[in-house]
Amino acid sequence: MGDSQYSFSLTTFSPSGKLVQIEHALTAVGSGQTSLGIKAANGVIIATEKKLPSILVDETSVQKIQLMTTNIGVVYSGMGPDSRVLVRKSRKQAQQYFRLYKEPIPVTQLVRETAAVMQEFTQSGGVRPFGVSLLVAGYDDNGPQLYQVDPSGSYFSWKASAMGKNVSNAKTFLEKRYTDDMELDDAVHTAILTLKEGFQGQISGKNIEIGIVGADRKFRVLTPAEIDDYLAEVE
Amino acid sequence: MHVIVEGDRERMARFAADAPTRGGFSFDLCQRNEMLLKKGTQLPTFRKTGTTIVGLVFEDGVILGADTRATEGPIVADKNCEKIHYMAPNIYCCGAGTAADTEAVTDMVSSQLQLHRYATGRESRVVTALTLLKSHLFSYQGHVSAALVLGGVDITGPHLHTVYPHGSTDTLPFATMGSGSLAAMAVFESKFREGLTRDEGIKLVSEAICSGIFNDLGSGSNVDVCVITRGQTEYLRNHQLPNPRTYVSSRGYNFLKGHTEVLSTKITPLKSKVEAPAEVDAMEE
Repeated sequence: MGDSQYSFSLTTFSPSGKLVQIEHALTAVGSGQTSLGIKAANGVIIATEKKLPSILVDETSVQKIQLMTTNIGVVYSGMGPDSRVLVRKSRKQAQQYFRLYKEPIPVTQLVRETAAVMQEFTQSGGVRPFGVSLLVAGYDDNGPQLYQVDPSGSYFSWKASAMGKNVSNAKTFLEKRYTDDMELDDAVHTAILTLKEGFQGQISGKNIEIGIVGADRKFRVLTPAEIDDYLAEVE
Repeated sequence: MHVIVEGDRERMARFAADAPTRGGFSFDLCQRNEMLLKKGTQLPTFRKTGTTIVGLVFEDGVILGADTRATEGPIVADKNCEKIHYMAPNIYCCGAGTAADTEAVTDMVSSQLQLHRYATGRESRVVTALTLLKSHLFSYQGHVSAALVLGGVDITGPHLHTVYPHGSTDTLPFATMGSGSLAAMAVFESKFREGLTRDEGIKLVSEAICSGIFNDLGSGSNVDVCVITRGQTEYLRNHQLPNPRTYVSSRGYNFLKGHTEVLSTKITPLKSKVEAPAEVDAMEE
């Protein structure tokens, strides 16, 4: 944090009416690794590239897709450490909601609260906006849902979306391939093909991550072996 | 929202004398309460569970048992309450003492365990639940009246503990708590042995709870059992119902005229009903 001189917000308006810090945060997101999400008729899938800085890194120790509750998962594009802070806060908020209402938190409520935290950091003293955009995937009483949350704190519900590097190509690809009656398996194949589009190098279960949640409402991250099976089907 | 920054903390340190200590019970109102008691005002009573709760370790894991009566003084407030609380998929906790306290403290620790599971990616351990419970109860110096029997199976094996309201704990192969604990312990001391099978264990736990149900006024109604083994938990709600309602007449009750003495009679005729005309002028604006 800053010292006592910085009790004012560092995010201030430019003469053109923009919040430049947030624009820069979005740039940080745009240079992060590609991630995407697809809402199927019977579930949601989120996926991301998992490019490690060196072959010496133990890839089993890295997990980018995290659980927020048993039926809601999240992936990010941008600065990993920033996403960890948000995931931790959201998990706690979900527990507090459950303690108060004895009901698992609906996806929209969790997204709203996460977005509120991100907005706080654009209007508080001595802090900077988060350098991540999140894709939140969940299945609750309102069915499968996919939300994107930006550093500004705005959130959008998507049928399919992508973030990070290569976002325009990925979105174009998704627009062509998306159908409303897609099944979860089809969505996984589509996600893999979309990631393949911009992938540099050989794609495998070790350098991408996929998380799914179906009608069973249990979010889980696929094992590298399962991803390799899907990859084989796609080829 | 103003985020507290280093500078603020330095400023706050200047007013440290006024800042309240964090955590634990605030005894500020004790003087006022004593004064009120002397004046004659009565403190509101709280619902105690007046309970029999038990736990034992058997060959494959842990079995917990509880009765289902909740009392408010001499009155039965709930004839079929749930005293075996969920802590984690592999850990359950029976609660005796003040119902609100046991409920709140187990809910709180259950929530903390879930957050810990997300952070570590591992199954919760019984000692974690134990430590969270005892630190909380100790910091409230016994004012949180929760006496618990905590049991579960984790990667290190089956565990059974008792937790007292002041925060002390015991680790035991078999345990009983609550007002019916002596009746239940008599059964355990006589019949418990190591390496019981699942059916033997359930039978013994049910016997101990029944002993509490029939011999202790604070316990009654039904027997709840929870069997926890490696990888599987079975919550047998109302495993036994030794106190069924047998006095309901199937013919129903018919109270004839003349059964009740009539003290006085007053007849008030209702006013006659006036039909509104069907044709009504529309309201003018």
